[in-house]
Amino acid sequence: MIRQLTSSERQTAAVLLLGVTLAGLALAVLGYGNALAVHGVITAVLAGGLLFYVLSALYAPEPDEDRQSAYYDDPIKVGIGLAMAWAVFGMFMGVWVAAQLAWPDLAFDAAWSGFGRLRPTHTTGVIFGFGGNALIATSFHVVQRTSRARLAGQISPWFVLLGYNLFCIVAVTGYFMGITQSKEYAEPEWYADLWLVIVWVTYFLLYVRTIARRKEPHIYVANWYFMAFILVVAMLHIVNNLALPISFGEAKSYTVWAGVQDAMVQWWYGHNAVAFFLTAGFLGMLYYYLPVRAQRPIFSYRLSILSFWGITFFYMWAGSHHLHYTALPYWVQTLGMTFSVMLLVPSWASAGNALLTLNGAWHRVRDDATLRFMMAAAVFYGLSTFEGSFMAIRPVNSLSHYTDWTIGHVHAGALGWVALITFGSFYTLVPSLWKRERMYSAGLVEVHFWLSIAGTLIYVFAMWNSGIIQGLMWRTYTEEGTLAYSFLDSLVAMYPYYIARAFGGLLFLIGAVVGCYNIWMTVRSMPSTAARGQDLPAAPAPAVPGE
Amino acid sequence: MELDHTTLVAFSKSWGLFYLFAFFIGVIIYAFWPSNRKRFTRAKHSILERDDKPWK
Amino acid sequence: MSELFHRKLERSAIGFVLAIIVAASVGGIVEIAPLFTIDETVETAPDMRLYTPLELAGRNIYVREGCYACHSQMIRTLRDEVERYGPYSLAVESKYDRPMLWGSKRTGPDLARIGGKYSDFWHVAHLTNPRDVVPESNMPAYRWLARTELRTDDLSAHLSAQQALGVPYTDEMIAHAGRDAYGQATPDTEFADGVMQRYGEDTSVRGFDGVTTQVTEMDALVAYLQVLGRLTDVAYQATAATEQMPDASD
Repeated sequence: MIRQLTSSERQTAAVLLLGVTLAGLALAVLGYGNALAVHGVITAVLAGGLLFYVLSALYAPEPDEDRQSAYYDDPIKVGIGLAMAWAVFGMFMGVWVAAQLAWPDLAFDAAWSGFGRLRPTHTTGVIFGFGGNALIATSFHVVQRTSRARLAGQISPWFVLLGYNLFCIVAVTGYFMGITQSKEYAEPEWYADLWLVIVWVTYFLLYVRTIARRKEPHIYVANWYFMAFILVVAMLHIVNNLALPISFGEAKSYTVWAGVQDAMVQWWYGHNAVAFFLTAGFLGMLYYYLPVRAQRPIFSYRLSILSFWGITFFYMWAGSHHLHYTALPYWVQTLGMTFSVMLLVPSWASAGNALLTLNGAWHRVRDDATLRFMMAAAVFYGLSTFEGSFMAIRPVNSLSHYTDWTIGHVHAGALGWVALITFGSFYTLVPSLWKRERMYSAGLVEVHFWLSIAGTLIYVFAMWNSGIIQGLMWRTYTEEGTLAYSFLDSLVAMYPYYIARAFGGLLFLIGAVVGCYNIWMTVRSMPSTAARGQDLPAAPAPAVPGE
Repeated sequence: MELDHTTLVAFSKSWGLFYLFAFFIGVIIYAFWPSNRKRFTRAKHSILERDDKPWK
Repeated sequence: MSELFHRKLERSAIGFVLAIIVAASVGGIVEIAPLFTIDETVETAPDMRLYTPLELAGRNIYVREGCYACHSQMIRTLRDEVERYGPYSLAVESKYDRPMLWGSKRTGPDLARIGGKYSDFWHVAHLTNPRDVVPESNMPAYRWLARTELRTDDLSAHLSAQQALGVPYTDEMIAHAGRDAYGQATPDTEFADGVMQRYGEDTSVRGFDGVTTQVTEMDALVAYLQVLGRLTDVAYQATAATEQMPDASD
């Protein structure tokens, strides 16, 4: 990896790493006696370790002179590995917390392992660790291939990838120690947030500069989605995390938003994190890897443009549906509900576009589990966006809100859509990136597929059942006009579903482990195709008249 | 004009809607503009071409 | 014209970036901007008191342990919720809450008005091991809270950060924050004297965890739970609820 860098770039990298190591040490001194110091030490150790690695290779031979005429794939390979590692970690934490709801003693009476501390390690692990690394890796791949240009930087891709993972590690280790803002999906404290801003701005600049280098006149639509993901996440992250630390030597901060404003900002953030992190970015994957795998162009390019702007525009209004019947002004609730329902149009346009692309290639969907991963992802995307719009309708929300139905909905999207499209993309990407003819075992892809589908369905059906039962029990009245059930009655009714949910999650986790093994074996033991001299320069396609 | 709550709400409710329509007319014009057809067709086929090296 | 514009927009990535920002930011601005003037329209609560340093420390423990993942603090305007939990929550009641802890999931019940409904002893027993009090409960046990001494030396910094953000803590409150936190849980000491004077007669000064010689995280958390929904009684007046606010002396 390091051999791809020239010696002057290695020096720059070493200086950068030295800077981060020193910053970590400074944090350790400033925060002496509290959790900030632990994070300083973690930062210094990780950056120092990398520094050692870079220094040890400082005088290695220079890279080939024509590296500029090849794509920059090393960061993508590492990104895929990190994404899979986070997937296993995050899903394991998910199974653990799910089991705690059924068997609370699984917290083992320790402070760090209570449900409230572990739950964000699961959400951050899967959303930011698995999802984020998958997005960074695939976006680096897609932007190079569709622009026919190498990434516009040698060190910055590494800075983005590794800096982002540092953020994830600081976040997750913080939760174990009780460092959290208790803002859902924005738990990390101020210093981690600041670091992420630096990383993210670099990511944005790298992406825009790569696009500016493109040899294709048109920016392919997948890049639009990745751009929207990068830009809007930056916006959301900065606004929602504005906070005042109690001192620069303490981890604790107070958000600048209070009460009802904080609620609106938080759910404007929370909902759009779903929209632009978990939807837009993964739609970028869908619009590239699905056509490539199916060897068919996208059904309608126009439709993909219309749904892009529809999603970019509509989603931003929908966040307030998380606050129906609360102290938020009524008109804001109504606006959120209206736009949530309208969102169904661009969402289904995307799902339909994906499925119609496969129309005529169903035999390949039948035979190829990788393509089936992506097909199933599009179906789950369509289902969960329909469910989301439905649940945003105020009277439906009165039943579903605060119940497990919400959890079921989120996981229909997260497992069924986000994870499946990622696995499908990875199984497409891994052989081509490592120049292998195919995955190590098509049978194991098949096993992974069915474990994922079974896990998702068990999970989602358990949560639908428990959520609706819960919601109904809370509002059931006796003939005398009193509430029929105590809260505890509703909790007791949940136990069977909590066990079923943990089992569904376990199947999904096993699937991810199988996927890791398959990817590992593909990289390790499959023969390379590169030796056969395939890498002849591709002839540029004839220019379209009128361009 | 004083920036009180009613003004802000009224502005949100009227201009928000106007903006919505203007934006969508713009997007539809772009998507269906006749001379864009060729570039879209080219774009959707281009990702299926060989991509083993950046172009010079 | 239009074609030229769009082509330009797309040729330079920057134009495209701007288009995304414009498209995406309007929704948020339209919905959020009016909330900055919301003070003009929502209820007021002139009698609303502040969190004492001990209660704030308890709130921070609630934040630290991620309690919001299972407990909401937002009673919706629905009949069954009002009958189960009390008058629906008003915006003004969380005006000092940073962050707000409205929550999104009820694995356990809503806590917006839990204050005063159970005794301190019940809370301590329940936090120590929920299944001792509620056999069917699936809540984690927090028995280590009673063993952990509360950190009070940083409370002045907490209050002054809150003051900088607009919460009306006085300089005197900030200066006495650590003492007041200690005093509120140790009624027999000299530190207890100033607490009521600074935070009002309704402030509870007692050994929340049953031990009046030491201030633990259990003290702080129970003090916070006991004040939830009781910073102001405006919800009971504004909503014509038949229910009365629980009395601290119960």
